[in-house]
Amino acid sequence: MRAWIEKQRYIIDFTISSLLRRKVKNFGLLALYTLIVFILASTMFFTYAIKKEASLILKSAPEIVVQKIVAGRHDLFPVNYIETIKNIRGVAAVESRLWGYYYDSLVSANYTLLTPPSNAGSADSVKSSATTTAVESASGDPQSTDASKPLFELNGAVLEPGTLIIGNGIARLRHIGKGDYMPFLTFDGKVMNLKIAGTLSSQSELVSSDLMLITEDDYRKLFGIDNSHVTDLTVVVNNPSEVAMVASKIKKRLPDARPIIRDEILRTYDSIFNWRGGMMIVIFSAAVLAFVIFAWDKASGLSAGERREIGILKAVGWETSDVIQMKFWEGAMISLAAFFTGVILAYIHVFFTGSIVFEPALKGWSNLYPHFELTPFVNLEQLTTLFFLTVVPYTVATIVPIWKAATIDPDSAMRFTGE
Amino acid sequence: MIELVNVKKVYNAGNPSEFSALNSVNLHIAGNRVTVLKGPSGSGKTTLLSIVGCMSRPSAGRVKLNGREITSLPERFLTDIRRKTFGFIFQQPNLIKGITVLDNVMLPAYPLGEKRSHLKIKAMKGLSELNIANKAASKVEWLSGGEAQRASIVRALINDPHIIIADEPTAHLDTKLSYRFMEIIEKFKSEGKTVIITSHDPLVYESSIVDSVVNLRDGQIEGEQA
Repeated sequence: MRAWIEKQRYIIDFTISSLLRRKVKNFGLLALYTLIVFILASTMFFTYAIKKEASLILKSAPEIVVQKIVAGRHDLFPVNYIETIKNIRGVAAVESRLWGYYYDSLVSANYTLLTPPSNAGSADSVKSSATTTAVESASGDPQSTDASKPLFELNGAVLEPGTLIIGNGIARLRHIGKGDYMPFLTFDGKVMNLKIAGTLSSQSELVSSDLMLITEDDYRKLFGIDNSHVTDLTVVVNNPSEVAMVASKIKKRLPDARPIIRDEILRTYDSIFNWRGGMMIVIFSAAVLAFVIFAWDKASGLSAGERREIGILKAVGWETSDVIQMKFWEGAMISLAAFFTGVILAYIHVFFTGSIVFEPALKGWSNLYPHFELTPFVNLEQLTTLFFLTVVPYTVATIVPIWKAATIDPDSAMRFTGE
Repeated sequence: MIELVNVKKVYNAGNPSEFSALNSVNLHIAGNRVTVLKGPSGSGKTTLLSIVGCMSRPSAGRVKLNGREITSLPERFLTDIRRKTFGFIFQQPNLIKGITVLDNVMLPAYPLGEKRSHLKIKAMKGLSELNIANKAASKVEWLSGGEAQRASIVRALINDPHIIIADEPTAHLDTKLSYRFMEIIEKFKSEGKTVIITSHDPLVYESSIVDSVVNLRDGQIEGEQA
């Protein structure tokens, strides 16, 4: 047993010295290999963590959001529809929302404007059931943005007429803060100056980076929306199994309304980030392919020097299995080092640097990138898949040619005359 | 000690490039003696040496080592015999570049799993005997031709083999170093080892320490001089 352990030590020592002897080649390979694992793992960590984050955030979203549709487009929602929905059995609460987008040509950014629920809606019944919610703008597509969001935190700021509270992304972009004024152009071309009463907590930045909170009066003045309309409604249903039924009843009673169920929003988020992640992988697939060709060439073809070395080892008494074992360790060391370095770097990149490299492609905001740190969520299944897709093929690819070379007669070393 | 019976070796059998390197060779090599296989290039010396040293198998015929038939042994057993019985000195030193002289010398002992401290002492003793202990930590590419040759000799002896096999050992050595090599061979002989050398260098086959010379030509034995 002792001899066996000693033998393994010798083989591993020799393998390490063998790797170091071809420093440039092996470090080049290691760097490229690490880069590929880093890209794949970063994409994987990011999409998985953001989907997980989004699904956690959306847990507090309302079961149903109801919009009015005209000619297939989202339209303003008549306040008098609220009573019809409230009368449906199973509906616990109905809440109206006022929100929209404002394009700031100065910085070419779109802001999401929202009135906090206590100010929104004109019906008293709505006010009484209001909870604090926020709305996120993801890509300008109303369908993907209608989700009610987790609660933003006002950091003690009080919203009064003539004031607004802004998200951190806007504060950074415009270099403004509490006490500053922000000019807006109203629907009829007049300038409306609003004083910044505070900023939203950075904890909620994923959903509040581009958010502005203003009072209902200021909102209606800015966009020219009268008191008989709101943007949309949220509906709370007591029994989760009745959500689909309530949605179908809303559709039946209000044919021009579109109820959107929370699960549908979750699915939309899932597909958006799956798509973004997939797109990243497609873009980098060329790099992956280049690596595969390089690795295959390195792994499957043995240089004359390596062949000669195998011949010498066999001639001096190494068995075929010793040579294969040595080369197996060589492949395993490179691929394991690349795998762990790549995964660790990707973890740091995604969870500590906010995915600095892939931010534009993966987060998808335009000029307003939220600054946030994702909570580390790692899917072991994905990590295992990545392991089997990178480490195993490379290690196997190194074994086959070595096996071929190692089974030749050792007298080739004897016949070697060139140095 | 070593007996070859009707040994044939054919390369690339069945191909247009088929080539017969040895034809019906019968040979007996005695123990504790120095035997030289002599002949021109292409006569089959190296092929015969590699078969004797269990580095390749004959296409036909039998090889016996100490009366035991070894031709049909599986590769693992053959490797074991090669490792423990033979020490090889190649025409070129065939040292592995990039590692030290000491590591090169210890290489044949790695598969045996001998304790590193013991192995190191043995290797240093071997290097001292051939006056290259001061080069132990040097990379092999820094050695002169003679030093590299001596390092390869120490490597051949690291597992304390009974039989030393040397293929054209003086081919790349000058006269002085060739004489020095023959002195080393004489020392092996005095230690009771069997030495088999291939050479067409008169300095080797005419040396007084050589016990018998086997003449080879076109893959056949032409004659044997005692």
